[in-house]
Amino acid sequence: MFVHIFKYRLKCLLRDRANIFWTMMFPVILATFFYMALSNLGSSEAFKPINLAVVDNEHFRQDLQFKNVLEQVSSGDDRLFNLFIVPEERAKEMLEDNSVEGYIKADTSIDPPIALFVKKSGLNQSIVKSFIDDYLQTQSAVKAILSENPGKYAEILRDLSERKNYLKQVSGTKANPDNLPFFFYTLIAMSCFYGGFFGNREITDIQADISPLAARINAAPVHKMKTFLYSASAALLIHLAELFVLLIYLLLVLKVDFGPKTGYVFLTTMSGSVAGLSFGAFVSAVVKKSEGIKIGILVGTTMFCSFLSGMMNQNMKYIISQNVPVLSWINPVNLLTDAFYCLYYYDTYRRYYLNMAALLFFIVLFCSCTFILIRRRRYASL
Amino acid sequence: MQVFKLCMKIARKNMPLMMIYLVVFLVVSLVMTSSLAGEQKVEEPFTRVKSKMAFINEENSPLVEGLREELSKIAEFVELPDETEALQDALFFRKVTYILRVPEGFTGKFMSGEDVQLEKTIIPDSAGNVYIDLSIDKYLNAARLYIKNIGGITQESLVSRLQEDFSLSAPVKMQAPAGRQKDQSYARFFFNYMAYSLLSILILGITAIMLVFNDKGLRMRNACSPVNATSINVQFMLAGAVLTVAAWMIMVMCCLFFNLENALSINTVYFILNSFVFALCGSSLSFLIGNLAKSQDVASAVCNVVTLGFSFISGVFVPQEYLAELVLKIASFTPSYWFVRANNKIGEMTKFDLSSLMEVFSDMLVQVAFAVAFLGIALVAGKKRRYLE
Repeated sequence: MFVHIFKYRLKCLLRDRANIFWTMMFPVILATFFYMALSNLGSSEAFKPINLAVVDNEHFRQDLQFKNVLEQVSSGDDRLFNLFIVPEERAKEMLEDNSVEGYIKADTSIDPPIALFVKKSGLNQSIVKSFIDDYLQTQSAVKAILSENPGKYAEILRDLSERKNYLKQVSGTKANPDNLPFFFYTLIAMSCFYGGFFGNREITDIQADISPLAARINAAPVHKMKTFLYSASAALLIHLAELFVLLIYLLLVLKVDFGPKTGYVFLTTMSGSVAGLSFGAFVSAVVKKSEGIKIGILVGTTMFCSFLSGMMNQNMKYIISQNVPVLSWINPVNLLTDAFYCLYYYDTYRRYYLNMAALLFFIVLFCSCTFILIRRRRYASL
Repeated sequence: MQVFKLCMKIARKNMPLMMIYLVVFLVVSLVMTSSLAGEQKVEEPFTRVKSKMAFINEENSPLVEGLREELSKIAEFVELPDETEALQDALFFRKVTYILRVPEGFTGKFMSGEDVQLEKTIIPDSAGNVYIDLSIDKYLNAARLYIKNIGGITQESLVSRLQEDFSLSAPVKMQAPAGRQKDQSYARFFFNYMAYSLLSILILGITAIMLVFNDKGLRMRNACSPVNATSINVQFMLAGAVLTVAAWMIMVMCCLFFNLENALSINTVYFILNSFVFALCGSSLSFLIGNLAKSQDVASAVCNVVTLGFSFISGVFVPQEYLAELVLKIASFTPSYWFVRANNKIGEMTKFDLSSLMEVFSDMLVQVAFAVAFLGIALVAGKKRRYLE
């Protein structure tokens, strides 16, 4: 009996093209769009050498020290500036047409002797200002020391030239805090909950008061639970296969970094699929309204939960976890997203296991509620 | 006007679906307005950008306090609990971009001239961090200079000398851009976002009507009605036009309403004009989809893929300057790309001379060309389909 029901259910579901589109093709297409739109996003934060002009005047040419320092930080691969030494008129033009972020003008007749000209307040302009301040302030320190200890000139020069680096980079975990993969985690979580479409269909096709097909199936001499479980396992198989297609597409084609624990990612996705399916069944069993409304509720809830777990704006997830932590624990989509995040980012498994336990709780909750709602229904008339 | 009335009836029936997109548009707009309002930049006088950092102090000493004070000029300190997970989370979600840890015993070793280092945890290669690095190194290098060259200097006197030195600041002069008064970044955002919501509404509305009219039985019945074909077509087009203009007007109203304070400028006129051109283009694209789609399921799938796809790659959701070269090349085959490009130019416009206007108009012209192309393909496809039936 299992083989019979399973096989025909499989065929039946595979022919529902709209469903296959939304549960498999749509996430794959969305992943592609995410990839196209976001893959370059990291570079927006990255530091790029700042285009900076210096007015080529008498004061600048004579201030050898400043010139040297400036040239020093403008050479090499990790340079701060792309330096343009140009006449004042040209510098103004360059600033006007945005080919430099600002220009520096030295004038020893005024105090302080170096001024910066910019068009707006921004990070790059602030860095240039910091650099100039740094120079002026160090110079002031040197003067102060020399006024007390005039003999130290040579030593100070030596000390200045061997500027020390006082910072050591330590990373909290092995993974980079690169938040591009996170978008894909929310996407996988969303796809898992799109499995709700399958869950919904299983209920529609087994509850005699919803569809004529279900009425006929109920009349057959097979135990309802058996029919339900057999056909639900066909749905689960299809959904799992679809999610694996998505994961493999992400891994091999888009080369998304899942961190070192890829095996666990597959395991988590499988639990997510079960959760999504049971969620759909639960909604379908509870909401005794038309098909359209059920689908609306499914999509709406999934999207809202995805939104809260940071799909549209990553900060959302953080804001909620900081301010309303309860909400992140009762949002099953967030549990999944957070599980992926923990796998990628943390070295320990503690929070991952907590997430999975909470997800398991939801699966049990959805399944038992569905079970109570659909068992032993008898109809006097349909 | 039976045909027209029927069209309106179908549109009304599909109203809830279309409303979803309008509501999404409104919600996103509201969220954006509130989040943008917080970071609106004061243009003058020059203000330093502050990076967000966590300063974790394992010991308290005048030297470290001085460093903290110096850093406060360029950084905004965020209080975080000293727990690995909390720190890691804050870094991942960009609550802070820099975590600095002063290890215990730092001051003592530093004062006696030993080699010591502070620990930083950062987002690699991030621009804001260069800035903090510079400041920390400056402070400690200057401090080292004093310690090495003035024997027996105390921490207190060191810090006060450093404070004096660091009060020096280079003057920054703003070269004012020519006469730009109003901030157009909101308007730019709202109008760009229309490329998603307006297009969704148009495709949904127009395909819904066309799916009904393209039904074979219904079309044959209509063909034998005493209303002539021209009249049917004219009414049909009129309905499409009314729908397009109505959707466009509602969206424009929202855009203006949310951005009332900045709306009174010449830029707004061009924003509106550009969005109208885009609305025309959107309706002809919808006409094409309506001619090709065979069922509501197909139409809604196509609608989602087209609107989301266009929006992602042409700079609606992610600004064009952050997109890769190749992606933009691909996007230039969509009307949304030209719409967004024109909007960005309009937002930047400070003078309205012929050469800068020509650039905007040429982008609009490309959208018109798209509209004509879509319409042409739609007519051919529709004709072919009717022959095949």
